[in-house]
Amino acid sequence: MSTGHHTPETDFDVNDPQATQFDLVREGARRDGVEIVHYAPRFPVPGTEAERRIERRIASLLVLAGLAGLAFVVIYIAWPFHYQLGVNQGKWYTPLLGATLGVALFSIGAAVIIWGKRLMPEEIAVQDRHDGASPDDERKLTAATLLSAYEETGLRRRPLLKGALGLAAAPLGVAIGAPFIGSMIKDPGRELFKTGWGVGTHLVRHDGTKIRPSDMKPGAVETVFPGIPGGATNVHADSPTLLIHLREDDAKKAIAKARTGYENAHVGNFFAYSKICTHAGCPASLYEQQTNRLLCPCHQSQFDVLDGCRPVFGPATRSLPQLAIALDADGYFVSQHDYTKAVGPAFWERP
Amino acid sequence: MPKLDTAKAASWTDDRLAVASPVRRLMNKVFPDHWSFLLGEIALYSFVVLLLSGVFLTLFFDPSMQEVVYHGSYTPLYGMPMSRAFESSLQLSFDVRGGLIMRQIHHWAALLFMASILVHMFRVFFTGAFRRPRELNWLIGITLLILGIAEGFAGYSLPDDALSGTGLRIMHAIVLSIPVIGSWTAFAIFGGEFPGTAIVPRLYIAHVLLVPGLLLALIAAHMGLLVKQKHTQFPGPGRTEDNVVGHRMVPGFAAKAGGFFMIVFGMIAALGGIFQINPVWLFGPYEAAVVSAGSQPDWYVGFLDGSTRLMPPWETRLFGHTIPSLFWPTVFLPGIVFTLAIIYPFLEQRYTGDRRHHNLLERPRDNPTRTALGAMAIGFYTVLFISGGNDIIAQKFDISLNAMTWAGRIGVLVVPPLAYYFAHRICLGLQQNDREVLAHGVETGIIRRLPSGAFIEVHQPLGPTDDHGHGQLEYAGWAVPKKMNRLGALGASVKGFFVPVEQPPEAPVSPAPAERKELTGARGDEK
Amino acid sequence: MISSTAARMGGRFRRHSGLVVLALALGLLGTMYAAFAPASRADDAKTATSAADVRAGQQLFEGGCISCHGRNAQGVPDRGPSLVGVGAASVEFQVGSGRMPMARNEAQAERKPALYDNGQIHQLAAYIESIGGGPQIPSMTLRKTDATTIAEGGRLFRLNCSSCHAFGAGGGALSSGKYAPSLYPATDRDIYAAMLTGPQNMPVFGDNQLTPQEKVAIISYVQGQKGDQDPGGLGIGRTGPVSEGLVVFLVGITGLLIATLWIAGKS
Repeated sequence: MSTGHHTPETDFDVNDPQATQFDLVREGARRDGVEIVHYAPRFPVPGTEAERRIERRIASLLVLAGLAGLAFVVIYIAWPFHYQLGVNQGKWYTPLLGATLGVALFSIGAAVIIWGKRLMPEEIAVQDRHDGASPDDERKLTAATLLSAYEETGLRRRPLLKGALGLAAAPLGVAIGAPFIGSMIKDPGRELFKTGWGVGTHLVRHDGTKIRPSDMKPGAVETVFPGIPGGATNVHADSPTLLIHLREDDAKKAIAKARTGYENAHVGNFFAYSKICTHAGCPASLYEQQTNRLLCPCHQSQFDVLDGCRPVFGPATRSLPQLAIALDADGYFVSQHDYTKAVGPAFWERP
Repeated sequence: MPKLDTAKAASWTDDRLAVASPVRRLMNKVFPDHWSFLLGEIALYSFVVLLLSGVFLTLFFDPSMQEVVYHGSYTPLYGMPMSRAFESSLQLSFDVRGGLIMRQIHHWAALLFMASILVHMFRVFFTGAFRRPRELNWLIGITLLILGIAEGFAGYSLPDDALSGTGLRIMHAIVLSIPVIGSWTAFAIFGGEFPGTAIVPRLYIAHVLLVPGLLLALIAAHMGLLVKQKHTQFPGPGRTEDNVVGHRMVPGFAAKAGGFFMIVFGMIAALGGIFQINPVWLFGPYEAAVVSAGSQPDWYVGFLDGSTRLMPPWETRLFGHTIPSLFWPTVFLPGIVFTLAIIYPFLEQRYTGDRRHHNLLERPRDNPTRTALGAMAIGFYTVLFISGGNDIIAQKFDISLNAMTWAGRIGVLVVPPLAYYFAHRICLGLQQNDREVLAHGVETGIIRRLPSGAFIEVHQPLGPTDDHGHGQLEYAGWAVPKKMNRLGALGASVKGFFVPVEQPPEAPVSPAPAERKELTGARGDEK
Repeated sequence: MISSTAARMGGRFRRHSGLVVLALALGLLGTMYAAFAPASRADDAKTATSAADVRAGQQLFEGGCISCHGRNAQGVPDRGPSLVGVGAASVEFQVGSGRMPMARNEAQAERKPALYDNGQIHQLAAYIESIGGGPQIPSMTLRKTDATTIAEGGRLFRLNCSSCHAFGAGGGALSSGKYAPSLYPATDRDIYAAMLTGPQNMPVFGDNQLTPQEKVAIISYVQGQKGDQDPGGLGIGRTGPVSEGLVVFLVGITGLLIATLWIAGKS
């Protein structure tokens, strides 16, 4: 800011009756370090056809803005807006509101800009910059003031108080922060290694019905949930599992490649793998039943179902964990036990 | 007369506050005029629209994870169990008069806010506007960008629809991937296992109070520094490091800024009504087992999604612990990118040794190294950004998805150096072209036959020439006129909206004040 | 599931008789449409098959399909799979949507104009049916218009279908150039047959997995969404943030850049 630059070099008398309004403006600007070097009306001769044309243009834009604004209000109040499936009048509610409001605002904006550009006098003003550091003596005075404030406390020669202040402040600082952090901390424990599956938990559909092998044809896939209360809800977000019925030939390949400890994890040609991607936790559920690949739609990791759901493409590094399944006495699918590996994305504690 | 009342009110205020000089000083503040200086304004105005529309939304949105059954007017979800947050988003869209357009205006304003920040940042970078004394404002700007991303992501997550839930799930995995503290941090943020019921209310308070508060304070600081330090300007006739040439704030600049605010607001309103955005009713309520092909974050997070997609499956395992591959593209990479952005002004000072004050901008061509570095960064960003939507591109253009991923992996290594090389060459070429015109003059299009029979094209020198007919103007980083009508030697070309109105450039600092005084004096008398 | 929900909502529907009238009207409209729609494949497939059809189908098969699918539709290794047991539904889907015969042997069979007319498809289906039986599209109404069915279909769609075909039913990319097609060109019978038979890489959804009623619900939802005008303006492909990002730069930023050039330009 140009404070302190009220140069009284020119003796301009503010009270001079001869001074025009513009003279006053220019003097004000000069005192603010601004020189108006070019100032001219757009239309030196008032009332020409060219000027009136621009006035008309601005006026019509303003009228358009008013009409569009009015249309907006009328549509807002009177147009039906409730949702109905299909093609109907209500579907035009939002587009009409947007169009009318857009036109209204745009017209006002355009009118104001044309006004500024075409009717207001053209000017070029030059303002001095006074940037850079403060004058040396100012700095010195401020530094002295700051230093003296510090020295008046006498902290420099009172080490006891300095130490005591530290002793007071540090715990207090922690005390203020502690509730914010402490209340939020929660021990993850083994939570990340557990899901809703247990010994003999039924594999159920989204609606809670149990599944038999005969329910699924070869080449079928079904998202299954643990048959426990709330098993299909987000309370058990790690539990969704894909039950896949492989074709006979494919199943042979898959069985041949079964991982150690998972030789009996399948039931016939049925295999169950976690639906939660080991990369970022999205449901890796795009099952290609001919190539036997599972694709995750978030980052395109691809898993080979015939090879223990090993990642074969994309950023994922780990196989989808396999859920060991069996049949209960009534012939419904159950889990043998919970997943033996942590489901979902990797983390530090996971080996 | 109303004028008297205004005068009375003014005296009344000044009697108590003594604001006559500061108010006048503010009104007389000079702003330079260039189209690229308006880009930051788009961000400012979008933010205002965000605040207005956001307040409306808070009247109806309920960030509760309580499970309810939907009985609203959107029949395709009738009877579905969902969270109260999602239900209130649907109510807001279908049962509140004008609610849908407000939601859409809010979302479009957010996308535009981030887009204009990016474009504004490019302008600041490529013209060197971040140099001393404006390093602080650059820092504030980058902080605003980062906060904007956080704010946008929080808002995107609030409706608890299937798309935002998928986004949250990935965010959870990203937090989990942080070495040592990952799982504890994730449990702290989510209040337990994913998703729990704490995250949406927490994101809500961050989205409507904490982050907007910070944004508001930082935007105020950003503007305050701008006013204090005065705007930069491009070099040109009469423009020096010690002055600002342009319009006074009132009325010239204010009219343009006010009009532009209306235009930005109008654009957002039109987008909000005409283009459907984030149709949460199609996505349905979030369920852990539900996902859609082509799940994407909003565009400003897209580059991180892209980096994640391109990341090779490299996982580090040490001493029974894991650093997941997800950590590198989503935590480490943005860390590096934003750190580089923050320290760039200081890096440049260090390597060029240029620690002077700069109020005059540099045209991008006049600092080829910086421009090339910027092009390199944009190249890198663009490859990641495109890869963030590579599945949609693969589908729409019938390209193999795996091929898209590999193209991205190779592209992210190859494109940046190429961008650097070409940007550098183009800068030098443009400079050379300017110098050539300064030396030989503007092509006139007039062909003359010499007595010897040779044909030459006549060039119009831009200034005084030496004995060889070479111009004597120094290269000064100014825009150089390259056509005769720019010199006023030919008539103005077609006037129009898309074509710049070409008139003889007026000398910005024109002498002869006496003549002007007559004109303006006459005007003053009229009033 | 459907019936229980319907029972729960019965009372509500009585209170909203307008809705019922609307549903009836829409239903009537749908029926009329089905009645007057240009000869759909449905009508032909419903007619009884005869031994003559089987013979004609065999001739067609030996003319156009045998090179890949082999004699007696036993399949040819690396060229075409066995068609024993794929059923009439599969033939109707594959041949009716033009996917078969394929232009060349590649990862994905594309939808294109059908090579055979409805009568011929019926004969081909009869022949394949005669070899090993297999699933058939039931002769019942495949679409309902009541809110409960549509909502239930939406739930099933999101759980089973959207992962590949996307929320907006516009399709999505699969691995290595394969893709899940857009459901926009698909008819009710196409969708039903696809779920029943699992064409190409699509998993099979047998009748014990998704009951015929549930399949109908899914069809009702998908077809309802396809015909639903977007309440928020232009749907921009219903692809989500990618097209939104495109719009904000191509329309928003570009438009405002033009505005800045105009505002800062000389007057």
